[in-house]
Amino acid sequence: MSSPERAPAVRCDGLTRRYGERVALDAVSLTVAPGERLLLTGGNGAGKTTLLRVLATVLRPHAGEVAIDGHVLPRDARKVRPAIGYVGHEPLVYPALTARENLELYAALYGVGRERIEQVLELAGLNGRGADPAGELSRGLRQRLGLARAMLHSPSLLLLDEPTTGLDEDGRERLRGVLAAHRGAAVIATHEPDWFAGLEHGRLRLAAGKAA
Amino acid sequence: MRAYRALLRKDLLLELRGRELVPAMVVFVVGALVLVRLGLGGERLAGGTRAATGLLWVVVVFTSMLALVRSFAQEREHGIWDGLLSAPADRSAIWAARASATFLFLGVTQAVALPLFWLFFLQDGRSPSLAVLAAALALADLGVAMLGALLAGLVSNVRAREVLLPVLFLPFALPLVSVAVRMTVDSIPPQNGGLGALHGLGFLALYDTIFALLGWALFEYVVED
Repeated sequence: MSSPERAPAVRCDGLTRRYGERVALDAVSLTVAPGERLLLTGGNGAGKTTLLRVLATVLRPHAGEVAIDGHVLPRDARKVRPAIGYVGHEPLVYPALTARENLELYAALYGVGRERIEQVLELAGLNGRGADPAGELSRGLRQRLGLARAMLHSPSLLLLDEPTTGLDEDGRERLRGVLAAHRGAAVIATHEPDWFAGLEHGRLRLAAGKAA
Repeated sequence: MRAYRALLRKDLLLELRGRELVPAMVVFVVGALVLVRLGLGGERLAGGTRAATGLLWVVVVFTSMLALVRSFAQEREHGIWDGLLSAPADRSAIWAARASATFLFLGVTQAVALPLFWLFFLQDGRSPSLAVLAAALALADLGVAMLGALLAGLVSNVRAREVLLPVLFLPFALPLVSVAVRMTVDSIPPQNGGLGALHGLGFLALYDTIFALLGWALFEYVVED
């Protein structure tokens, strides 16, 4: 790579990750170009979530090399975190805090101004629900809150783990709109690959931790 | 600093709304003091004021365990660790906020416990210096909170964390408690503590400084999986 601008958004080379004796990712290699959206497919336990958590800098790789925007993980994790928007299995919010309080917390963690909070509430279709405790929102609305949280800092790399789970039609349309408007790269783990038709640039199927 | 303030606000709001920790700590500390009082059948402790002061510190340590085993419980139970750890804020802010919240919770608990302790055990006119006891409690609470937040982060993803945390915590807390007991007991008349109290406070301040530096430097790594 000649400059960080030209580096792939994501590059994994022989990525291996274990939980104790169990190998969750076994020498997985992939490349996602800037602006590209990659779908991760595969059955339960295939390693999709583990791969996303490694890319989100939450888990350390045990072998192989992982780089985001040319920055190698975990060494450069601090440099890449501002660029990443991560939606996990859970919405990653505190049930006892209101939707707005959760977003205020994450805005502080990401160094984002408070004015952005209203924008992402609107983006996720949660305007009017900002004062509701996250724990009292339905599964789908919590998922929207998770998406709003991930979009707070306008990330250049979206990592989405089953983002359609629990979403109603309106929620799905909003997700589609977010992805269509997103100019950066995205890695999306899903059991509904067909739903992403027209939004994806490539697919990678994982089976038992290996690229199939 | 903004991240620290937001995380501390979050910890205080969660306690204010959930009321999980402080009420349990207050009930525990009151219950422990009442039980000892009843157990003695209204008699003074065999060792007098000195033993009663030591007892106070035992209760303080075990009350702090209640706060520590619930540290990061919400993050664990709702999978929020991934959100915090993937954020670009300095991870030591998570530790600092947690330690600050624990320090405040211990302070509230002791504000209830101390008058009760005075009422139950220190009615014969010989009691430890209030200034020494307050300073020792403040510094010991700070040390307990900082050490506890670091260890709670370390065991947060371990299955047997409720067992492991006290096993790890107590040996590290031993020097803190032994010095705090010694300096408080030595401030009971006819001894006046004096230089010994100053030495003790100096030791507690040094202990706090060490764990402040360790917590700040290591938390990033202890929570990494």
